[in-house]
Amino acid sequence: MKRFNTILATVAALGLSAASAMAGPTEDLARSCNACHGLNGVSVGPSMPSIAGLPEKYLKNVLLQWKSGERYSATMGRHFTGYTDEELSKLATYFSKLPYVAVVQPADDKVIARGKEATERCETCHGATGGAPDDDETPKINGQWAQYLEMELMKYRTDSVKMPHKKMRGNAKKLADEDVAAVAKFYAAQPK
Amino acid sequence: MSFNRRDFIKTLASTSVVFPMVVRASPSAGKARVVVVGGGFGGATAAKYLKIADPGLDVTLVERNKQFVSCPLSNEVISGHGKYEGLLAGYEGLVKRGVRVIFDDALAVDPAGKAVKLKGGTTLGYDFLVLSPGIDFNFAAIEGYSEALANTTHPHAYKAGAQTLALKKQVESMKDGDVFLLSVPPGPFRCPPGPYERASQIASYFKHHGKSKCKILIADANDSFSKKGLFEQAWKMHYPGMIEWVAGASGGKVVKFDAKSNTASSDFNDFKGAVVNIIPPHHAGLIAMNTGLTNDKGWCTVDMLTMESTKQKDIFVVGDSTIHGDLPVYGAPKSAHMANTQAKVAVANILAKINGQPAPEPFFVNTCYSIAEKDWGFSVVHIYRAKDGKLVYDTKAGGISPVNLPDEAALKLQRKLESEYCIGWFKNIMADAFA
Repeated sequence: MKRFNTILATVAALGLSAASAMAGPTEDLARSCNACHGLNGVSVGPSMPSIAGLPEKYLKNVLLQWKSGERYSATMGRHFTGYTDEELSKLATYFSKLPYVAVVQPADDKVIARGKEATERCETCHGATGGAPDDDETPKINGQWAQYLEMELMKYRTDSVKMPHKKMRGNAKKLADEDVAAVAKFYAAQPK
Repeated sequence: MSFNRRDFIKTLASTSVVFPMVVRASPSAGKARVVVVGGGFGGATAAKYLKIADPGLDVTLVERNKQFVSCPLSNEVISGHGKYEGLLAGYEGLVKRGVRVIFDDALAVDPAGKAVKLKGGTTLGYDFLVLSPGIDFNFAAIEGYSEALANTTHPHAYKAGAQTLALKKQVESMKDGDVFLLSVPPGPFRCPPGPYERASQIASYFKHHGKSKCKILIADANDSFSKKGLFEQAWKMHYPGMIEWVAGASGGKVVKFDAKSNTASSDFNDFKGAVVNIIPPHHAGLIAMNTGLTNDKGWCTVDMLTMESTKQKDIFVVGDSTIHGDLPVYGAPKSAHMANTQAKVAVANILAKINGQPAPEPFFVNTCYSIAEKDWGFSVVHIYRAKDGKLVYDTKAGGISPVNLPDEAALKLQRKLESEYCIGWFKNIMADAFA
């Protein structure tokens, strides 16, 4: 818990020092995202992803897929049906231009080693430590919140909800149940 | 230190470079004085975002309490699923941002003289006032109930704080087979799903503490409630036979209370409980009423698109004290998220006024999670936009979480995700207001 508080304090300090863009309709829209995703898209709630600095194409894809229902979401689809495609596109561009902040979450060495071993299939697209995605449609996942990553894997591993990425679904399902949390913690612990 | 400090410093340095669109204050803007009364989700968010928008603004926040106690997630404290400490926030974050925080009681506003009078004797002049006083209770509406009872033997616990812990203690003292009676006031009240989440959380406490024969009786002044289908599904699945809801039309509206016999009565029924939790009817915070900002029902009316009071110029009212719009059932819901989004719209409008710009197009969003049982959460989403000069609820978007999903795995996934998102939402919205 103490460790978690240190993480939060550091994230908070970052938010404090960062200036914020406040003018114009896209910024007005983006400000409303802060309530759940943190100031300037850097989340302090482990179940909510940081969204700043993710690749533009990736953001655009998921935002539009949630809106169309092509990608399952528990909550976001109900938000994005209220936005125009153009607004979503602009939001994706906006957040992609903010700095990506890896919130490094230390974990037990054994868990990290186990996670690393289980990520063999992930490497081609996400890079060895999640920080060097293969293309603009693949998110960075290093220093992303472990709890969020684990919950995303749960989505991919549940057949009865719609997820669009065949390869990702296939690989997520190949993970052993007991490796899911370790994989999430491995990426969460990576600074780069 | 497990962090790579250098990385953070590097990020900080780059941060200042990539924000070219910060509003630059005009020379006069730096001198504008904005007073914010009430440091809850609405007021704290407004104070913070005023400073973010224009660090040169003279922003003063007046708040009664040195420590904020969140109502969201306070039901989870009553049940023991959450910790009281987790509800707390201080005002140091706002001070660091350059907000002048005064711990005092704002007594009265003089809209003509544009000043706020504080109990401690100070008078604060303002160019713009953000009023976020929350709600106060109309104890007189329930004969026999009173503020004195609420503070001693019969906490309402509908403003989080000492009463939250007092109610928790009472619930814990209940014996298997006892009845918990919850009286819900007529709408509008803050946190529309709050009473029903409370019933769920207390049922969860009973279920997991060997008190499964306990009953929860909800005596409701209303004929329906927020997320009804979702709550009823959860009750049936997790607490079969434990929770009974009596609608207003069936005599659920409590008008009288006898503390000695722990009996709450409507015009038709007498309800008894080992613990009786009466949530009294609300109205806008007293300072708003005393300033003449309220309608005949006791709520602040605002310009739907700007949050400026319809009664007084240059006073923006945000949060639970407002009737925001003429949307069904009672305008926009009274939630932390709504207060957050309203505060941001008010700030954008104040900035536009200071800088002589036209009012920006508003965007309002509400997200409200409830947790009915461990790993069982759900939400309602509202999106409001401006259309032809009016605030319109986008009926194509938003709505409640799906009640039915393709199979059990999908249902469990959905409820699990939203129970966790609830906690993540809470941490971020607290930070968005106070950090």
